Amino acid sequence: MTGQEACIVCAGTLTRMTVLALDAAAGLAECADERGAASTVDVALLGEVAPGEVLLVHAGAALAREDGAEAQGAGAPGR
Amino acid sequence: MRYIEEFRDPQLGRALACEIAALAEPGRSYKLMEVCGGHTHAIYRYGIHELLPDAVELVHGPGCPVCVLPMGRVDDGIAIARNAEVILTCFGDMMRVPGSEGSLLEAKAEGADVRVVYSPLDALAIARSHPDRDVVFFAIGFETTAPSTALTLRRAREQGVSNFFCMCNHVTIAPPLRALLDSPDLSLDGFVGPGHVATVVGARPFLFIPDQHRKPFVISGFEPLDVLQSIRMLLAQIGEGRCEVENEYGRVVAWEGNQRARELMDEVFQVRGEFEWRGLGVIPDSALALSDDYADHDAERRYEVPGRRVADPLACQCGEVLRGAIKPWQCRVFGTACTPERPIGTCMVSPEGACAAYYAYGRHASVGEALQEAGR
Repeated sequence: MTGQEACIVCAGTLTRMTVLALDAAAGLAECADERGAASTVDVALLGEVAPGEVLLVHAGAALAREDGAEAQGAGAPGR
Repeated sequence: MRYIEEFRDPQLGRALACEIAALAEPGRSYKLMEVCGGHTHAIYRYGIHELLPDAVELVHGPGCPVCVLPMGRVDDGIAIARNAEVILTCFGDMMRVPGSEGSLLEAKAEGADVRVVYSPLDALAIARSHPDRDVVFFAIGFETTAPSTALTLRRAREQGVSNFFCMCNHVTIAPPLRALLDSPDLSLDGFVGPGHVATVVGARPFLFIPDQHRKPFVISGFEPLDVLQSIRMLLAQIGEGRCEVENEYGRVVAWEGNQRARELMDEVFQVRGEFEWRGLGVIPDSALALSDDYADHDAERRYEVPGRRVADPLACQCGEVLRGAIKPWQCRVFGTACTPERPIGTCMVSPEGACAAYYAYGRHASVGEALQEAGR
C-alpha cells in the first residue's frame, strides 16, 4: 500500500522512501517518496543509513530497510 | 515500481484463489480474522472477498486505532485544545472522529487552535516556532506509530523543547486479540496478522495464539497477493494439522522485529493498567502512557481532562463490527444515517474502518474487477 489513500495512523501504511541526504549527527535524513515528494525522516531506529537506500517509513520514522528483514531472519528460528 | 505491480498481478491472484479453493475441505467452513484495518481496506478495495470460496469468511478485526478510540478520549483531547495557550496537533484522520459533544474539527471551527500534522516531528517543529504556546500532540496508533512518537519525545527532551506535550492514546495489538480469543461468542479458525505492527514487535508477541488457543496466525503484507497468500497459508496449516505463527511478509518483517524501536518504547512509555476500547470494553494492559521519565511532556499530567466514559450512540453498532459479530452492511444505520460524509460511528470515519472501506469499495466491486484494474 502506498499509503496516500489510507489512514496515516493505521499500521497499513509504510511508505517506500529513498534517502537523498543525511544529517547523521541529528539522526535525520531528507528522503523522497515514489512521487518525488521530499520530507525529513527520523532514521535513528535503523542505525547507519546511506544516500540511495530505500527505507520503509511510517509517520516520519523509518522502521525498516527494504529487503532488510530477509537478512535479519524473517522466519522462526530453526526453520 | 517494485513491490506494487508484482503483488497486484491479477493472474497470480486468480491462481492463488484456485489454490485456496482446492485447500478448502468440502463440507467445512473457515472463519478468518484480518486483524489490521489496512487489510480490511485492501480486501474491499481489490474485491479479495469475492475471489474466495463461500466456505472462507473474512471477519474484520480491531486493528484500526481510530475506530477503537472511545468517545471519552476525543472529549479529553477537545478539553485540552480549548485551553487558550494550547495548539493541539493531530493526524488528519482524527479530526472528524466524533466525541460526545462534537469532533476536533468542530472544536477548531469554534475557535480552538487545532492543526493537522503528518508526523510528530511536524508537531515538534511547531513547538519550536511557538515557544510561547503549549503544543500538544494527540498521539494515536498501534506499535507501528508509537516509535515515531517516542523518537519525537526523546528529541524534544534532548533539545529542551519544554513546550512540547503528548496526549498518549497509543494501544497495543496483542491484548485485544487475547480478549477476542477469550470471548465465548466468537469462533475463529485463524488470523491474518498485522504486518506493519510486526515490523516493530516481530512475531513473538503472537506466539500465544497458536500455543494457548490453537489458532494459526500468518503475518501478512498489504498487497492483494499478500492477503491471498496468507489465506492460502492459513488453510494449508489447518489442512495439515499445523498451528503456528508464519511470516508471509518476510520482505519487510524480521522475526525479531526492530529491537531499537522496542527499547525506545520501553524507555518513553509505560503500560497502562487498563484502557477502554470502543466496542471491546476495558482491556487490561492494552495501552501506553508516558513513563515517569517523560512526565514533563505528558499533556494528561499538565491539563485536567474530563476522563469520562461515554456510551456510543444507540443507533451505532461499531462495537459489533469491531468484534466481528456483524458485517458493516448489517448495521442498522450503515449507508443511511451513517456515511463517510456524516459518520455516526468511528468505523465510518477512518478510510481503514470496516464500514468506510466497504462503503467506498465493497458496494461496487464485482469479481476480479478491482484486481484487473490494479494490474492495468
